[in-house]
Amino acid sequence: MSSFSRSAQQWATFARSWFLIDARMQPPGKIASVCSVRLQGKHKPIYHPLSDIGDHVVVMNTRHIAFSGNKWEQKVYSSHTGYPGSFKQLTAAQMHKKDPTAIIKLAVYGMLPKNLTRRTMMQRLHLFPDDVLPDDILRNLTEELPQPREIPRKLSEYTQEERDAFPMLWTPPEDYRMK
Amino acid sequence: MAACRALVSRAVLPLHFHHVCRGVMLTHIREKKRWMKAYTLIMERKRKMEGPPPPKPRSQQPNFDYHAEVEAFSARLQESFSVELLKTAFVNTCYLRSEEERRRALGLDLETTTLNLKDNGKLCVHGQQFTKGFLSDWCRGSFPSLPEEGVAAVVGHLTGSEVMCHVAQNLAVEDLTMSAEFPVPDETLQGTFFAVIGALEQSSGPVRAGLFIRDFLVTQLIGKDLFDMWKVVDPMGLLVKELTLKGIALPEPRLIRSAGASTVLPLYFVGLYSDRKLLAQGPGETVLAAEEEAARVALRKLYGFTENRRPWDFTAPREQLQKPSAQALTSG
Repeated sequence: MSSFSRSAQQWATFARSWFLIDARMQPPGKIASVCSVRLQGKHKPIYHPLSDIGDHVVVMNTRHIAFSGNKWEQKVYSSHTGYPGSFKQLTAAQMHKKDPTAIIKLAVYGMLPKNLTRRTMMQRLHLFPDDVLPDDILRNLTEELPQPREIPRKLSEYTQEERDAFPMLWTPPEDYRMK
Repeated sequence: MAACRALVSRAVLPLHFHHVCRGVMLTHIREKKRWMKAYTLIMERKRKMEGPPPPKPRSQQPNFDYHAEVEAFSARLQESFSVELLKTAFVNTCYLRSEEERRRALGLDLETTTLNLKDNGKLCVHGQQFTKGFLSDWCRGSFPSLPEEGVAAVVGHLTGSEVMCHVAQNLAVEDLTMSAEFPVPDETLQGTFFAVIGALEQSSGPVRAGLFIRDFLVTQLIGKDLFDMWKVVDPMGLLVKELTLKGIALPEPRLIRSAGASTVLPLYFVGLYSDRKLLAQGPGETVLAAEEEAARVALRKLYGFTENRRPWDFTAPREQLQKPSAQALTSG
């Protein structure tokens, strides 16, 4: 930044950071787009596609991602090994049950540039189904990224005062029966 | 035609081929000469064996008139030198000695053919003292909080042989020096440049000489970092000393950021806090290196040598520059 020695400034500019992102209650596509930006290094002013200046991204709680709409039943992941009779189609729910990190992994893989650097960037993506992280990764972390989606609160998470303070649309008469 | 195209694509045209303009090549040959290839190959082999030709001083190359060059030197710098002082400044002791040897070797009588040239020794000493004094004053004026060792280091760097020889070579002082060996050795060139400054001071006065030093030596500081010139082994100790002198609380290092701590390329940012307020922060490969860098950044901030400081003003008007001390203060 300011007044560093040349060698220190260069070391700091080209160092690889480690970002942490919590995927609880988040749409996997939004998580994947944030990850792909950081893995390519597009958040740095020194970006160049050949420079290999992407950072590491650690995603935790991938088991608790939240698809919007009916995607758990309607989104289909297809694969074919090339041999006859090996066309497999799995819904997102089945895929998630089989491997809780696969959905985010496939989403990030699809968002990275389709060249040989993609595999290296995928090696720098670390996915964990729960919030238990190994010690060496915990030590490497630099910063936590904000979650892309604001999680709405459940009714049980509101206090009684907040529920009472909420404006009523209409006041029901005394003998109105609510189901 | 094919031969012409092949010849044009080479960097150096052989004999008898001349580019008149783009697209027009004049050939003073009627046909392809049979001896040309053998001759060219022999010359190439000779050049490769002997290596590049030794450098010749400008005075031995064609179109050189010493008196005209000396006058041009003073006109180019827009300074009015007295010509005898300037010519004396360019004459070195080694040159006088080598000239006397040569004359003795040629068998000339020493009484009838004495050299009328004087040495530049006294001018050199005078110029050196004046330059060092001016630069120290300027440094103290621009950076009031820089300690004496810092001032000495900066002045030493500016009057050191590297910077002075670079400036002297680019001002054509090397072409005009009269010395025994060519290329001129660094100390001789440095001495000659000091003598030129001394001659300027004696011809036009200390104000003009000060302006000259400011314009040619102080500008070499642009873009330079303080600790490139001043080798500080223990920046943390120096910082503690400075802060105790000022009465500020001693710095406490704290780790601000880290990245990849268990990898082979870690990065740590350490901040120095005095009395719960951030003094400076610095990056490093290890925590100790980061702490040292933070101490260096804090020292740069204290001495006013940061990268975002106000640049020096080289357009100071003439009327203000009466005394060297006032000049040093206004140019800061």
